Amino acid sequence: MIPTNLKRKAEWKSQDILFCIEQDHANGRVWFGSSDFNIYEFDVASEKPQRKAFSGQGSRQGHTSYVTGIVRAGEQLISCSYDRHLIWWDIDKCQMIRHVDAHAAWIRQLVVTPDGSRVITVADDMRCKVWEVSTGRLLASFSDHSPMTPHHYPSMLYAVAISADGRWIATGDRIGHVAIWNANTFEKTGEVEAPILYTWDPKARRHSIGGIRSLAFSADSERLAVGGIGKIANIDHLDGPARLEIFDRATGERKLDLEDNKQKGLIERIVWSPDGKWILTAGGANDGFITIYDAKSGELVHQEGQSGHIHDLALDETFDNLYVAAHERVTRWSMAESV
Amino acid sequence: MNINRRTLLRAAGTTAVASNMAALNVLSQPALASELARGDKSVIVLWLAGGASQLETWDPKPGRSTGGPFGKIKTNIPGVEISELLPKMSSRLDETAIIRSLNTKIADHGQAYELMDVGRVGEPGVHFPHLGAIISHELGQLDSRVPDYVSMYTSTEGRRQGSAGFLGARYNPMFLTDNMMPDDIHRLESMSVVDHQDRAALRDFFAKRFIRDLQNPSVGSHENAYARVHGLMSSDTLFDIERETSAARDHYGPTQFGQQCLIARRLVEAGVPFVRVARAWWDSHGQNFETHRELCADLDHCMSALLDDLKQRGLLEKTLVITLGEFGRTPRINGSLGRDHFASAWSCTLSGSGIRGGTVYGETDLDGQTVIDGEMNAGDLFATIFTALGIPYDKEYMVGSRPIPIADFGSEPCREVLA
Repeated sequence: MIPTNLKRKAEWKSQDILFCIEQDHANGRVWFGSSDFNIYEFDVASEKPQRKAFSGQGSRQGHTSYVTGIVRAGEQLISCSYDRHLIWWDIDKCQMIRHVDAHAAWIRQLVVTPDGSRVITVADDMRCKVWEVSTGRLLASFSDHSPMTPHHYPSMLYAVAISADGRWIATGDRIGHVAIWNANTFEKTGEVEAPILYTWDPKARRHSIGGIRSLAFSADSERLAVGGIGKIANIDHLDGPARLEIFDRATGERKLDLEDNKQKGLIERIVWSPDGKWILTAGGANDGFITIYDAKSGELVHQEGQSGHIHDLALDETFDNLYVAAHERVTRWSMAESV
Repeated sequence: MNINRRTLLRAAGTTAVASNMAALNVLSQPALASELARGDKSVIVLWLAGGASQLETWDPKPGRSTGGPFGKIKTNIPGVEISELLPKMSSRLDETAIIRSLNTKIADHGQAYELMDVGRVGEPGVHFPHLGAIISHELGQLDSRVPDYVSMYTSTEGRRQGSAGFLGARYNPMFLTDNMMPDDIHRLESMSVVDHQDRAALRDFFAKRFIRDLQNPSVGSHENAYARVHGLMSSDTLFDIERETSAARDHYGPTQFGQQCLIARRLVEAGVPFVRVARAWWDSHGQNFETHRELCADLDHCMSALLDDLKQRGLLEKTLVITLGEFGRTPRINGSLGRDHFASAWSCTLSGSGIRGGTVYGETDLDGQTVIDGEMNAGDLFATIFTALGIPYDKEYMVGSRPIPIADFGSEPCREVLA
């Protein structure tokens, strides 16, 4: 069933920018990463949820820049940051247990493999790295992304995804290049191009905006969704259509490209339904949006807006509840009643 | 006393050759000493159009809610730290003064541009000249065979030519927009080189006789104008960076801003007193941090390359490099991870001629919201620039019967950043 009854159920405002969120499916709490450099536990099941900050260890207090990604692997959280570091955290003690100097530039995203054994990061050093969760050991480092744009400016490697069967990794950069990798051998197996997601303004403003901000494989691993923002006339603002492209993973053929001019901005996150029939996207410009598309026809089935640009989301196991990390707030949405 | 700058310089040169003691006597005259202090100085303005963020450049606040994600890095000046986005400049601050305390109040592009272009708020009925016009008026040579003022602004957003105002069109810039080579200064294709030279020689022959026989200043001025046009026509080579070695071009890098900085160096080396290179467009209402990653990389490389090149050629001591825009950006980060217009507490830099390098002047509060020490306005900045160049900042132009000081009424130079 395609959800058509998306409703906001709760909103918790804050002063900071929340970039990433992970849900504890068993205990009604979420964890999120903040612009104040902290990781927080947030008990959304309580009447008045309070933040509880994770703490450092010894002289190291945690991250020293925006926390851009957080995943759960067993009884640990692993977070990444623009400070170039990965940190392992003990969930029960809310304390740092391992710290890795992981990349030479901002870390943009991380994902955990379906079996929870590995975590995969991408950063503005344009490298994708695979880490062993149990030890923090680097297993592989690879790249198919140019450090410079065609216009001689630093490029950025924003997005990474792992397929549900654990066989494929996708990485996407600022200029719209996606590389697909064998997740076991780390050899490149394919690529797709989504250049419309990168706007270079050669005349009026002479810089660029955009990039691939989100990637997600369908549950059967056969399709790859790529999200960002379409062409922008005035690149001072995120005043362009939210853009989603869907490719056949094996052939690289573009199956769909969708643009939404009603709710403009970046698509920051993509979630495929378990049956592959619909896709949920979230992101925004100054404010946020959540949009649900029919994955076959591309029809926009349902859409909601909210105050605050959405940076990340986490769904519970039943797909009934959706927790959103956004600009100066966390929100909870329900999709329970669907047609 | 109305002293002609060119006459003074020539007189001083002649006197110096004749007698060292006489030269010292000449230097004791304040007016001439001021003229000589200006010497053959030049100015290059790196105009950060649209408004660069002070927090991502010269006044970082990492760890504060307003600070953004970037860190700060140490520089070659003990105790001075700048944004990590400027790693090359971090090792080159010994020739640069950072001013962190501009409060120019106007946060609208058009009005702020005007303010930072003329150094004062406009008045009805008075056309104030912009900085380049004043500098070219003060430092330019009447019989110069190169342009006095070249302005490069190839992006279209925010582009303004500016006006020489009451100084007259003579001090308007050679304004380069579509490409980096001036239009309309080439010999007509329909005319051969020989024909062109012959015509010039014939005109020169009659003109010299005419001047000799008539002894009229207006005729002399007319002749100067012809010579100037000929000079400008031959100055097209200054804009041709293919005449540089590949190493020199590589030094400035492949971006348009880099190429224009290289042209700027060629121009000041040839004696052009004022060059402005506009690097648009920093107006990062959305995605401020991504934009500054791009544009600061360009600024850091090109500004460093320019300072290095000027220094290596012995030009930096007589060239003032100003890095400035119309305003800074808000400490508050908006929903699009952008920063908006902000003129209450922002930064600029002055490098090279007349500047006490390695200094940081002024201070903002912990979040960068307000200036807490050393507040400067546009007039003060202009007074500082003029003083660095040896131009009396309280000099007055007469507009009709009204005296107008070249720096706004009540302005004071910032002595702390002056050598």
